[in-house]
Amino acid sequence: MLKILLIDDDLDCIEPLKIVLTSEGFGVETALSPQEGIEKVKQTNPDLVVLDVMMPNDYEGFEVAKHIRENLGLKELPILILSNVHNVKKVPYRFAPDKDFLPVDVFIDKPVDPDILLDMVNKLLGEKREDPRTPL
Amino acid sequence: MIKTDIAVIGGSAAGLTAAITARRHYPDKKITLIRKEKKVLIPCGIPYIFGTVGAPDKNLMPDAALEKNNVELMISEATDINREKKTILTKDEEIGYDKLIIATGSKPVMPPIPGFELEGVFAVVKDIDYLSALQKKLEAVKEIIIIGGGFIGIEFADEINKLGGKNVTVVEIAPHCLNLAYDEEFCEEMENHLRKRGINILTSTKVERITGREKVEKVILSNGDEMKADVVILGIGAVAHNELARKAKLRIGLTGGVEVDRTMKTSDDHIFCCGDCAEKMSFFGGKTSPLKLASIASLEARIAGANLYGLHRENGGTIGVWSTAVGDLALATAGLTEEMANILGYGIVVAKIEGPNRHPGMMPGVKLHKLKLVFEKTTGVLLGGQVLGGESTGEISNIISACIISRMTANDISMFQVGTHPALTSSPVAYPLINAAEMAIGQMKKTK
Repeated sequence: MLKILLIDDDLDCIEPLKIVLTSEGFGVETALSPQEGIEKVKQTNPDLVVLDVMMPNDYEGFEVAKHIRENLGLKELPILILSNVHNVKKVPYRFAPDKDFLPVDVFIDKPVDPDILLDMVNKLLGEKREDPRTPL
Repeated sequence: MIKTDIAVIGGSAAGLTAAITARRHYPDKKITLIRKEKKVLIPCGIPYIFGTVGAPDKNLMPDAALEKNNVELMISEATDINREKKTILTKDEEIGYDKLIIATGSKPVMPPIPGFELEGVFAVVKDIDYLSALQKKLEAVKEIIIIGGGFIGIEFADEINKLGGKNVTVVEIAPHCLNLAYDEEFCEEMENHLRKRGINILTSTKVERITGREKVEKVILSNGDEMKADVVILGIGAVAHNELARKAKLRIGLTGGVEVDRTMKTSDDHIFCCGDCAEKMSFFGGKTSPLKLASIASLEARIAGANLYGLHRENGGTIGVWSTAVGDLALATAGLTEEMANILGYGIVVAKIEGPNRHPGMMPGVKLHKLKLVFEKTTGVLLGGQVLGGESTGEISNIISACIISRMTANDISMFQVGTHPALTSSPVAYPLINAAEMAIGQMKKTK
């Protein structure tokens, strides 16, 4: 069974996600803080991480992503950011996967339709996983 | 409720081209273009706002093409698409459509470098008020750091430098500026050219932090150096602006673009998508491509606009053709570089040639052109080309692009019939494209 780790300090977000992913046959682990998230990445060896950004202040999720890649050395672990940071901050730009500055695979805004999330999760876990950062 | 046959959401290169194409192919249909901006900036012209043209309102797309093509313009922000009812909700109206083209473009990327929220840190946002604020700020400051040495970064650097009295620095994380589209020898020439024009270029260098109390004061680099900064501009790239499509539950691809097939149709048979907001596939191998260029957007728009009521055209994938110019030095590229072809796993032969773009070489206006072509070594199919020199490099890369799309071989190119003129082109005896192809054929024979 493929295992997905949800890292988000908002239980109201975690619970519905857990129901959706469990009903699709995934094993789901949860973490309610950045620190717990990093510990659970080490302990539970997930196949994919769904990560929030603002926990509980500003942008902690970005640091978690960098920590997973740089300190834990998990370069291949798919990381999907699911966040409402763009709506909260109302900035005229977007945060996006970047191999140098934001080493994640996909960035999705909350709220997300369950079908769209499942589609992304399956793409990231599927055999045809592609590197979206290939230049051409 | 207003009714239209063809609705286009978005008024930049893709939306405008899609609407005009739809008019050419479907002369009897009612076409409505919905866009939120009163005035639309020309995206590629944004760097020139700060130097050459002098103001955002001198870099605008004219609306005359819409009137000329009988396309109704509605200035309002589309907020929702109801796919079942086939309607678009804007802030002012509900519009019923038969066919819809989404061309909502992209948003600039902000890398979350610590300190990015400080006053004085700017992204390249396609918004007149935002760019006017940046322009005003630039006039009053001295130390400008540009993060990202792609074409946006170097063009911004040169244009800001033209204002005079500024210290402009480009910080690029890769070994060279323009690294993704040009091989090392081309990048180095441009970097040297920029340095001669007074721009400080730092390569293989990462910005670790931007610091300051409330406004930006310094950037801290990966080598430990600190640089004084009054303004930091991030020219890192862009991602699809897909909010409307996502709300309408259209399928979204891995890079965030709306998923389309080769006819530019989305997961809804009545909705097409083109330009920066559409997911892209590389011409070379077919993997997902994050490239976002006007050349790609306008091609996709010509496909989408033509295919609305029956399929006529298909997209072969992104070639990656574009040019840049700083002062009197121009660089142009199409397709794969030598480095990229090797990374992707092609066996290649490379031909490099230099020569004047006039004949004889004493003609006025002569420039030395450097051309490099990359061919697949067993079939001789052209994979890419780069050219450095004067103004005509831009059109030479367009010829290279046409050759790549047609999957031409070195032999096909060596058989070109080219018209030449002393005041306009290279000599017919030493025409660079042809001679490079002949060189490649020679190399292929040696390796057989």
